[in-house]
Amino acid sequence: MLPLTYALRNLFRDKPRLAQTVGGSALVVLLVIAATALNGGMKQVLSASGSEKNIILLGAGSEESIQRSEVSPLLGGIAEAGVRGVSKTLGRPAASVEIHYMTYLTDKEGRKGQGLFRGVTPRALLVHPEVRLLEGAFPRSGEVMVGRLAWRKLGIPEASLKPGASVTIDRSPMIVSGVFAAPGTVMESEVWAALGDLHMLAQRQTVSCVVLRMDDAANFPDADLFAQQRLDLELTALRESDYYAALSSFFKPLRVMTWITAGLIAAGAVFGGFNTLYAAFASRIRELATLQAIGYGRGAIFLSLVQESLIACLAGTLVASAVALFLLDGRTIPFSIGAFTVSVTPQVALAGLVTGILLGILGAVPPAIRCLRPPLPKALRS
Amino acid sequence: MISCKSISKSYRKGANTVTPLENLNLEVPRGEFLALMGPSGSGKTTLLNLISGIDTPSSGTLVIDGQNIADFSRKQLTKWRSQKVGYIFQLYHLIPVLTAFENVELPLLITSLSRAERRAKVEEALDLVGLMDRSHHTPAELSGGQEQRVAIARALVADPPLLVADEPTGDLDRESANGILALLQSFARENGKTIVMVTHDARAAAAAHRTLHLEKGVLLSEDPNLTSL
Repeated sequence: MLPLTYALRNLFRDKPRLAQTVGGSALVVLLVIAATALNGGMKQVLSASGSEKNIILLGAGSEESIQRSEVSPLLGGIAEAGVRGVSKTLGRPAASVEIHYMTYLTDKEGRKGQGLFRGVTPRALLVHPEVRLLEGAFPRSGEVMVGRLAWRKLGIPEASLKPGASVTIDRSPMIVSGVFAAPGTVMESEVWAALGDLHMLAQRQTVSCVVLRMDDAANFPDADLFAQQRLDLELTALRESDYYAALSSFFKPLRVMTWITAGLIAAGAVFGGFNTLYAAFASRIRELATLQAIGYGRGAIFLSLVQESLIACLAGTLVASAVALFLLDGRTIPFSIGAFTVSVTPQVALAGLVTGILLGILGAVPPAIRCLRPPLPKALRS
Repeated sequence: MISCKSISKSYRKGANTVTPLENLNLEVPRGEFLALMGPSGSGKTTLLNLISGIDTPSSGTLVIDGQNIADFSRKQLTKWRSQKVGYIFQLYHLIPVLTAFENVELPLLITSLSRAERRAKVEEALDLVGLMDRSHHTPAELSGGQEQRVAIARALVADPPLLVADEPTGDLDRESANGILALLQSFARENGKTIVMVTHDARAAAAAHRTLHLEKGVLLSEDPNLTSL
């Protein structure tokens, strides 16, 4: 084996070329880290948003969108009495009548953003136990409670949505009563209001759905049977987890496109790397031949060249990881139904590391083989 | 030490077959300092490459130290070179990113010697060529003569029985060239090294025990020159 110092010192022979290799690999690794973190964040938020124990009863034919669904406001009482296995807390069945409505919120300064509003009663807290009030109180009439990431989805400064702040929803003035968290779910970017207020805002007599929390996820067939038997109510029963899984598959093409873009850019970078490293190695063909003349095998020299490329690409990976931690980690990204937080998790960092290693190896192998191929007498004279 | 029997070397160049060496016979005893002379294209570098295991003959037998290296695979030749041959190039071929010490140490890194043993051998080799005080200098910080001395130390450090030198004084001034030739003479005389040197320079050839002239791949004459010893 050639000493590591040989590979290391060769890197600094041509500093602009080194900067090009490190910078290029850093950009590609950063892109892969960003793509992995974005896709992971979106997938995570959608998969965490649905509980297997929760069953959504919504209007038949509205399986793809709760917002389009319309069911009777009496369904809550009927369902809690008719479906077996509904969870109870202090004797109160965990059944939440809800209206899901997409509309605009305007802050005191006139800044306006669109978001998902959920009309609820306090029973909502029984079916969505992950919801925790961080500040203030549950909304009464004329009040709204905002998720802690709602400001990001609405595109409004966080300070405008503090408890006590005045906001306008459509044309109705409201007061922010509190801020809630629902870690890792899309609910964190929603605005919750009293069910009655949403009836007025949405100008509808019906509700969007009834969410039931079951004692056991295995009780779904009971709810499904109820939905099928009550033909008069024209219902469909869906596991909440299935609903968000369907939403997740709706966003799959977007995620695939992100991967394709990242893949194409990475492939372009590998070809760019071929040129850069070929130029670097080709200028040393005689030196490589000298090493062979001394008695180093082609394998040992090949490994040293790959080592050189790997060190440069791993330096790029380190730069990219540092940039990702500073610029990406913890950022919230809005998307059509909410917002999610980008996290540079160990898995994301591993994806970056694997990319850096692959770039280092794939970028070096063809130029190294090409530069070691010439016959030794010819290479010594080059 | 070296026994070439009917060796030929030919290769294809475009549509033509070039034969730089044809049916060559040569015997070089152990400890001899042989100079190969001839005009450009006469085949002397090709012969040197064959003797040093850098190239293989197209036909014939080439026995060095009892082994017919004409039958060796590329891998066997690489290992053989590391143990049996020290190569000295006209343009020194030092690794520019390594110091004189590290350049000389290179052939030892593929041996099983310990770090301390390597250090001792490198220091001994550098001392032999009179460059101990320049051991931490890179080639860019050395003169041409000093670079060639480092290259000689590198060729010697693993104690190979055969030294091959391709125009070792071709890029040096007369004074430095004389110093290098004196070193080569002493290695043959005092260390029993077999040395084969290619040169255009008759004064350099005069330092050898024997001079052979090559023309168009054929050995023309011998010019015994043992008096120079």
